[in-house]
Amino acid sequence: MTTTIAPAPARAAIDSFIHTTGSWVASQLDACTRCGICAEACHFYEATGNPEFAPVWKVELLRRAYEQRFTLTGRAKLMLGLDKPVTDEDISHWSPIVYEACTLCNKCAMVCPMGIQLGPLIHDVREAMAEAEIIPADLVEAVRKQEEIGSPLGVTDDAWVDRIEWIADEWEVEIPIDVKGSDTMVAFTSIELMKFPENIVAIAKILNAAGEKWTISTPGREVVNFGVFEGNPDRVKLFMARLLDSAKELGVKRLVVTECGHAYDLLRWTAPNMVEMPCEVTHIVAVIDELIKAKRITLRPGAFDEGGTITFHDACKIQRRGGHIEEPRNILKLLAPTSFKELDRCREESVCCGGGGGVIAIKEADPLRYKVFELKIRQMEEVGATRVAMTCANCRLQFTESLQHFGSPVKAVGLSHLVAEALVEE
Amino acid sequence: MGSTDATLVFARGPLFYTALMIFIVGMAYRLVSVLLLGWKRDRVPNKGSKLRGVAVTYAKGLLIFPFIPWVKKTFRGNQTTYLAGGMFHFGLFVVIFLGTAHMLVWKSLLGFGWPTLALPIVDFLSAAAIVAMIALFVNRLANPVLRLISGPSEWLNLLIVFLPMVTGYGLTHHRLLGIVALPYENLYIMHMMSINLMLIWIPFSRISHFMFYFFSRTYHGAQAGKRAVMP
Ligand code: SF4
Ligand code: SF4
Repeated sequence: MTTTIAPAPARAAIDSFIHTTGSWVASQLDACTRCGICAEACHFYEATGNPEFAPVWKVELLRRAYEQRFTLTGRAKLMLGLDKPVTDEDISHWSPIVYEACTLCNKCAMVCPMGIQLGPLIHDVREAMAEAEIIPADLVEAVRKQEEIGSPLGVTDDAWVDRIEWIADEWEVEIPIDVKGSDTMVAFTSIELMKFPENIVAIAKILNAAGEKWTISTPGREVVNFGVFEGNPDRVKLFMARLLDSAKELGVKRLVVTECGHAYDLLRWTAPNMVEMPCEVTHIVAVIDELIKAKRITLRPGAFDEGGTITFHDACKIQRRGGHIEEPRNILKLLAPTSFKELDRCREESVCCGGGGGVIAIKEADPLRYKVFELKIRQMEEVGATRVAMTCANCRLQFTESLQHFGSPVKAVGLSHLVAEALVEE
Repeated sequence: MGSTDATLVFARGPLFYTALMIFIVGMAYRLVSVLLLGWKRDRVPNKGSKLRGVAVTYAKGLLIFPFIPWVKKTFRGNQTTYLAGGMFHFGLFVVIFLGTAHMLVWKSLLGFGWPTLALPIVDFLSAAAIVAMIALFVNRLANPVLRLISGPSEWLNLLIVFLPMVTGYGLTHHRLLGIVALPYENLYIMHMMSINLMLIWIPFSRISHFMFYFFSRTYHGAQAGKRAVMP
């Protein structure tokens, strides 16, 4: 189900397409040879065989809008009836394709012979959908919650404080809140808070053990940014400002994003082009790797060698697009030197979990999301994994839910959690 | 001079130069119109080196994947496209730049020439390129994704590139094949006319991807390089 409010969705979408089309976008659209190779990269296509899920088809409307506005051939083709215009029906037709059958994982860019960055281009298509206000209802609701309540899961300020206090008590771990002058501000996701509290505990233990001067922030308590999923730049900036303003207020040197892929992509790789950054941004897995290398924490080598094969799932926004491909491997090779095995397609070519890009928040996408996860199950079976580690809570939510759905015995674990378990107290 | 001769002189003379001009001006127009849309500056601090990413992506894209595409995991699902696509491009480049007849055209245009490959090699590769094109055509017809994303211009592109290739191949084998019904001159005219058509067509079609390739590859390499991942 989609929400239709705007009178002329196509008009609004086309304006947005035209607005986003700079030289990079245009040159990439013009480089496409329509060879179709990208289709095979997409887990949604691989799992369903639906040609409409081919990445190149997901940017079809952007292509039409660009060609018909900016190129002679495009205009001529439209006049001669050799190409179709962008209509209101098209917007409604493509909306579920780009919101529910794409996790913006950008794997397609890794196989396109022309190197076209399809993920970001599909995000541009989402922006146009958002402009046209043809967005899946569940996404609209999550965005509203984040805007009004402060968290897409609807966690209120009070509930957040209660929950943090409960976590600190329950696991007897110190979690500094709003400490000015700290070096590091850590921003968690609501998913960790509500579904994987042990992740918060793990990260707290690690940072405390390292003697890091760190804090979390009340106003900057939510790292998730549903504006990105929706494709609304204003809300992206609004949600981001809550974090960055807090970091500035606290005077920290760095902002550490925990297990949230798209938030990391946004804050590390996009934000500096949108706003003034108060500090540097990094990911928790890089911090942990750094702490180990600097001998600020000590881990029991081989701590997880027992218990069968352990494998690693590369998250699209933390590994492939985030750049943290080696760090988790350094850690796993230390913790499970003999039982750690790579999946067949891994690192930059990793198969996405199927829940990213906001897909997991859209109820209608559930069947598709499970279908896609079958690929992941097959991959894990191939290496005989009993456990799969990862650095993204959104992936983990998709893994936990889907493994349960399929009754798989494989256990999904957070890498930080493994590290915390293997900590040697000095 | 017979009318066939006159037509040939026209096709490889004034018409060819006109087509060439349209090609050059057209491509320049495409380039400028894309460049003028404006570039955004990237102020994101790098993790790795953009330059290295760009170098690696070109090395992979030009030297590795065309020749050993099976190192790509997605090769499994696209064997025809990878193999026939690679064969087609390779054959085409060799014929255009290393075939003696074509080098002489380059020489007349540029003022200097270069060593070429022996005819049997060039001939074999041009046959391979033609076969590859047919395979690509059949594949486009058969594959549901390719059918979906192919509009009239995609089919026309194939035809317009195919014509100079078959007529060119026919020229080399004219005696051998003993095409009696079609005199050499007529075939030559067809070859020249199809080339002229192609030259005029390229700037208005996706065949111009060879120019934009350098933009998208560079961007891809830089994006991967700054994140310190393999492009
Ligand atoms: S792989 Fe690249 S060039 Fe081929 S159709 Fe997809 S986007 Fe276009
Ligand atoms: S970004 Fe990922 S999910 Fe989206 S089309 Fe590309 S491969 Fe498919």
